[in-house]
Amino acid sequence: MIDFPWNDRAGRFSTVRGAAFALALAPACWLAFEAATGGLGAKPLTEATHQTGLWTIRLLLVTLALTPLRRITGWNRCIVARRLLGLSVFAYAVGHLALYVADQGWDLGQAASEIALRFYLTVGFVALVGLALLAATSTDAAIRRLGRRWQQLHRTVYALAALGVLHFFLQSKIDASEATLMMGFWLLLMGWRAAQRAGAPLGAPRTLTVVALAAGLATAGLEALWYGLATGIPWRLVLAANLTLTPWPRPAWWVLGAGLAAALLPLARARLGRRPLSVSPSRA
Amino acid sequence: MLIKRKRGWELPESQATPESVFRQRRRLIAGLAAGPILLGAGALLAGRGASPAAAEEADPSAKLYPAKQNMRYRLDRPVTGEELATTYNNYYEFGSSKNIWREAQDLPIRPWTVSIKGMVEKPFEIAIDDLLAKMPLEERLYRHRCVEAWSMAVPWSGFALARLVELAKPLSAAKYLKMVTLEDSDVMPGQRAGWYPWPYTEGLTIAEATNELAFIATGLYGKPIPRQNGAPLRLATPWKYGFKSVKSIVSFEFTDQRPQTFWEEIQPAEYGFWANVNPKVPHPRWSQASERVLGTDERVPTQLFNGYADYVADLYKGMEGEKLYM
Ligand code: HEM
Repeated sequence: MIDFPWNDRAGRFSTVRGAAFALALAPACWLAFEAATGGLGAKPLTEATHQTGLWTIRLLLVTLALTPLRRITGWNRCIVARRLLGLSVFAYAVGHLALYVADQGWDLGQAASEIALRFYLTVGFVALVGLALLAATSTDAAIRRLGRRWQQLHRTVYALAALGVLHFFLQSKIDASEATLMMGFWLLLMGWRAAQRAGAPLGAPRTLTVVALAAGLATAGLEALWYGLATGIPWRLVLAANLTLTPWPRPAWWVLGAGLAAALLPLARARLGRRPLSVSPSRA
Repeated sequence: MLIKRKRGWELPESQATPESVFRQRRRLIAGLAAGPILLGAGALLAGRGASPAAAEEADPSAKLYPAKQNMRYRLDRPVTGEELATTYNNYYEFGSSKNIWREAQDLPIRPWTVSIKGMVEKPFEIAIDDLLAKMPLEERLYRHRCVEAWSMAVPWSGFALARLVELAKPLSAAKYLKMVTLEDSDVMPGQRAGWYPWPYTEGLTIAEATNELAFIATGLYGKPIPRQNGAPLRLATPWKYGFKSVKSIVSFEFTDQRPQTFWEEIQPAEYGFWANVNPKVPHPRWSQASERVLGTDERVPTQLFNGYADYVADLYKGMEGEKLYM
């Protein structure tokens, strides 16, 4: 029997895995379509490098969101999509690197020297090596063999995501808005983890609201800090921009919004009549 | 005997793109563009009202183009397709994506007044069409090298900046020419991002501004210059990285202070006042040794002063202490 990615372990079609598979594949299909129809513009390789980089970090954060989502909503089945999504992150990262090398005219020496010389590329490379290690130890056999050490190894994924976000900041020409947004989502995820560890119930809207506020504030502060340290733009102006919603709301607001939306999820669960999840210390 | 020294811009006649092929390519590109536009962009055009083509017809300067080509400024590579040069642009006033040509159609280019001010005999303002009437328009083929390691070859129309400096009659104490883009956050949404030092400001020394290469472009591909490329007038300094070439200029100010330029102010570690092209001086995040030629699979080696060293190298004699190449 062929082990299709959208099937569950018993070989039956799983809606959750099917949806995750579609999500993981859609950006690649769109990219291929655009490449074939000239939609990537004047510098197709650069554009494709950027799009794959964006999807690497986005899918990575989606993957990391599954465990907290499960605790917040009590929707246990969502976890069956985790390995599939995690592997797709690695696939996009490899595609991203391959496109970069292609843009260097497949000159491997040049690509390697650039990766060694430019700090932002070195950071990306370290993250990619880490993702490769995690992908290679994602088989059932590896999980069994590594036992408790598997948990420890795979917990480094949070640090790898942080490196991905740092690479995103470092590569920006001046506008770091989207890098800030990704950092904010990462902070939200870390906030949920920290709350869980501190014994606060993740199914409680109060906990989630506190985390949302903290992540939003930290996002605004760190964004201003970035501009203050890494650019000539006055950090005060960046911080103050959070108070006006023009030309568009700053990333901190989107992070706060996402965090508060998550805080509403337990209420939806109550309405759906599901029983709150008992808080278990084990990590899925 | 006449000894002819080969200069940077010259090339054997056989390598130049013949005019007929060049025009033919334009038609071909227009033809290629027509299909997808008809099929896919109907909704977009309907949504945005006026198409760029319609805006062009309304331009009162349209009859001035194509201007006569100045054969002194030819190129060693084919001219970049018009489609590419007019749809791949940096114009932060409209947004930080390269894909802002559609948004840029909101830029109002008439009436347009240019002010000449600062250390000049007599400051004045002049309407763009009056300025165009005073200036000898010509077409030049220039290489354009972006700091982001890509390049194109474009047919600018316009006039030498030196002619405008003559018209302005600067005082002898003036050392720099400061040029500034329109500031109007009602039509330029990017300018509502208040942490940037709007308006976009650039500058040249008077010696650079009066160098024969320094050019004010008012047309492109034998037509009035499109908004996304800096209508109704923008600078072209082909030996410098593209960000020096300030777009949609509203004022030329003569001063004895070196202007603080836009990119120098927001990212002083990466972009400076001089910004001369040099393959040996990398950007902190990438090598400048080679460049991707837009619309080709090629990376070609970048040349010192973008291949215009014969014209401009002398400008920088004795300035080795300056950061000339960033
Ligand atoms: C060897 C590994 C890597 C290389 C060589 C690499 C290279 C690049 C390059 C060349 C850019 C564009 C920079 C520019 O245009 O100035 C970029 C952008 C980016 N990369 Fe990577 N990268 C690597 C690994 C990663 C990893 C592991 C991630 C995610 C976890 C990632 C996420 C991104 C993102 C989000 C962007 C910005 C895209 C955008 O804003 O459009 N990269 N990378």
